[in-house]
Amino acid sequence: MSLSRRDFLKVVGATAGTALVAAQPVLAAPGTTDPNEYVGMLYDATKCVGCNACTNACRQWNKTTPEIVEGLYDAPQQLSADTWTLIQLYQDGEASSFVKRQCMHCVDPACVSGCPVEALKKSAAGPVTYDPNRCIGCRYCMYTCPFHVPRFEWKEVIPEITKCTLCADRIAEGNGPACAERCPTGALIWGKRGELIADGESRLAAEPTRYINKIYGKEDVGGTGVMYLSAVAFEHLGLPKVDNTPVPEISEAIGNLFLPGIIVGGPLVLAALHSIAKRGGLDEEA
Amino acid sequence: MSALLKPFKSDQPIPKSFVPLLAFTLLAIGLAIYRLYAGLGATTNMSDHYPWGIWITVDLFLIPVAGAAFTISLISYYFGRERYHTIIRPAVLAGFLGYGVVGVLLFLDIGRWPQFYNILVPPLNVHSFLEEISICVTLYTIILVIEIAPVFLEKWGIQAKWIDRWILWIAGAGIVLSTLHQSSLGSLFLLLRYKLHPLWWTPALPVLFFLQALYTGLGMTAIATNIVWKMLNIPRDKELYRRLGQVMSLVLSLYFAVKVGDWMGSGEFATLMHPDPYVIIALLEVFLGVIVPLVILFSRLSSHSAGPFWAGVFALMGTFINRLVITWIGVAEPSPIPYMPSWIEIFITVGLLAGAFLVYGVVVRYFKLFPDPGEGHSH
Ligand code: SF4
Ligand code: SF4
Repeated sequence: MSLSRRDFLKVVGATAGTALVAAQPVLAAPGTTDPNEYVGMLYDATKCVGCNACTNACRQWNKTTPEIVEGLYDAPQQLSADTWTLIQLYQDGEASSFVKRQCMHCVDPACVSGCPVEALKKSAAGPVTYDPNRCIGCRYCMYTCPFHVPRFEWKEVIPEITKCTLCADRIAEGNGPACAERCPTGALIWGKRGELIADGESRLAAEPTRYINKIYGKEDVGGTGVMYLSAVAFEHLGLPKVDNTPVPEISEAIGNLFLPGIIVGGPLVLAALHSIAKRGGLDEEA
Repeated sequence: MSALLKPFKSDQPIPKSFVPLLAFTLLAIGLAIYRLYAGLGATTNMSDHYPWGIWITVDLFLIPVAGAAFTISLISYYFGRERYHTIIRPAVLAGFLGYGVVGVLLFLDIGRWPQFYNILVPPLNVHSFLEEISICVTLYTIILVIEIAPVFLEKWGIQAKWIDRWILWIAGAGIVLSTLHQSSLGSLFLLLRYKLHPLWWTPALPVLFFLQALYTGLGMTAIATNIVWKMLNIPRDKELYRRLGQVMSLVLSLYFAVKVGDWMGSGEFATLMHPDPYVIIALLEVFLGVIVPLVILFSRLSSHSAGPFWAGVFALMGTFINRLVITWIGVAEPSPIPYMPSWIEIFITVGLLAGAFLVYGVVVRYFKLFPDPGEGHSH
C-alpha cells in the first residue's frame, strides 16, 4: 500500500524535480549548515536505566513546573506544556525498553515549513527554535509535526507553543543539552550529528545482536537531530515508520510549481477566455 | 423566514424572524469576548491531542461554499454568460459574509490574538501554505468589498464608475486569488503525510480541493437562487438553471475522475475492498457528494429547477464530510482522547452564522440586491 504510494510520489517528485532544483538554492536559508554539523543527541535505549536524571535536568534548566499526578511527585504521562521531555516504558512479556521523548530537531522539519510567521526556525547550530513574539498561536505546527511533539499552554490566556529547545541557549555557549550532560550511564550523548552517527554505527557493528540494525533518525524523514538505538522495534517506542523523504519536500515542491503557475497562468487563461467570449465563441447562444 | 427576504420596504417594522437571529448573534458576540478574555483552554475542548477543533472544520467548509461568489464571477465575466449577472450581487454578498464568518472564527481560534497582525508582517514564511492562504484571503476579502460596494454606494447616491470600468480586472484578480487559496487549502494537509488517513492524503489534494470548491460554489448558487427566487416571487430563470447544472456536472465528473484516478494510482483502491469505518466514510462521501448529484443532473430532473437544487444539497453534504475527515476524523493522534466541541465553541459558530444571515436579510430588505422582477430576464 505505502510502497505504491511512494512510487507515485517519486513520479510526482520527478515532475516537480526541475522546479525544485531551480528554486532550492535561492530559497535555502542563509547559513544553512551541513546536517552532519548540526548539534544533536544519540539515545541508546539499551543503556538507559530510567533514572530520570535527564528529565530533572530539563526541569531545572528550563524552569518548568513538575507535574503532580495522584499524589506522585512529578509523574507526567506524556509531553505537555510543562514537560518537554520524559522517559516512557515499553513492556510486552519479556521484551521491555525505556524510551526518551522530546522534539527530534528534524533536519528538514515539517513544523518549520508550515509555520506562517517564521516563529519556528531551524537554527544554523541545529536546534529548532521558537519565538513567542512572532507566533500567532495557530497550532499548525502541532498539526504537522509527524512526532506529535509541540504542545500548547492551554491553561494560559495568551498561550505559547512549548517543546524541547535542545537547550539552544546552552549550545550557544558551547555547552551540551542539559539532559545529555546529566545522563549518568552514557545512554544519552550529544555532539555533532555526523560524529553521533559514526559512533552509533560502530556500536551496531560491534554488537549486532544487541540492537535492531538501524539508527532511527539517521535518514528517517530526511534525518533528525535526535537519534535512537534500540533492541525493540522502533514502532513500539512510539517512533513511527516513515520514509526518508523530508516531510516538507512534496509540499514545498507543489508550492513551487502551483503558486507561480496560478499567478502567471491564471491571468493568461482569463485573458484567453475573455477574448473567446467577446467573439461569442463559448456561448452557444451568441 | 420569508419576511427576512422581503425587499425595499424600509418603512416597515423589523420582521419577527430577525429577533432570534439577533439573539444568537448577540450571544456569540458575548461568548467571543469571553473567549478572548479567558483563553482557549477555558472555553473550548481543544487539547494537545486535538489542536484544531470545530471552528477550523467550519472554516474549511465555509470557504468553498462562499466560493459561490468566485464561481459565478468566473462564469459570468469570463465565459460571457451575461445572464448570470442577475445573481452576481447576491452571490458576492453571500461570499463576503461567508468569508467574514471565517475571518472572525480564525481570529478567535488563534491563541496569541493580540499579535494576529504578525500574519501579514514580515518576515513571512514563503514555504507556508497557511501564510499564502492568509494573504490571499485578506486580499480576496478586499476584492469582495469592492465588488459589493455599489449596492451600498448607489443607495446613498454615490457613483463609483471606476468599479464598473475596472470590473473585469477586479473580478479577474478575485478569480486568481480564489484559485490560489481554494487549492492551497488542500495543500495545507500535504504536511500531514503520516497523520492524515491515506485514503485522503494525496499529492493531488490541491487539485481536489480546487475542483470541489468549484462545484460546491455552483451547488450553493443553485440552492440560494432557488430559495431567493421562490421567496421574492421572481420568475425562475430556467435556462440559467439548466446551464448551471451543466457546468456543475462537468466539474463533478472531473473531480470524480481525479479522485478515483488517485486512489488507483496510489494503490489505495485495494483498501476500499476491506471495509472499515474509514472506507465506509470515504465511499459515503463520494456517493453522496459526487455520484448522487451526477445522477440527478444527468436525469430528467435536471431540466426541472429542483434538479440543480438537490444536486447542490448533496454536493454540499459530500464536501462537509470531506472537510470533517480531513480536519478532524481522519487525522491520527497517538492516544486519542475524543474531541467534542464545547457549548461555547458551538454557540459561537451558530451565532456568527446567524449574524451572517441577519446581515443578509437586512441588506436584501433595505438595499437593491436583486433586479426587479422581469429585469434581466428578458433574453
Ligand atoms: S520533531 Fe516535530 S516539532 Fe520537533 S523539529 Fe521535528 S517536526 Fe518540528
Ligand atoms: S502556533 Fe506559532 S509556532 Fe506553531 S505554526 Fe502557528 S505561528 Fe508557528
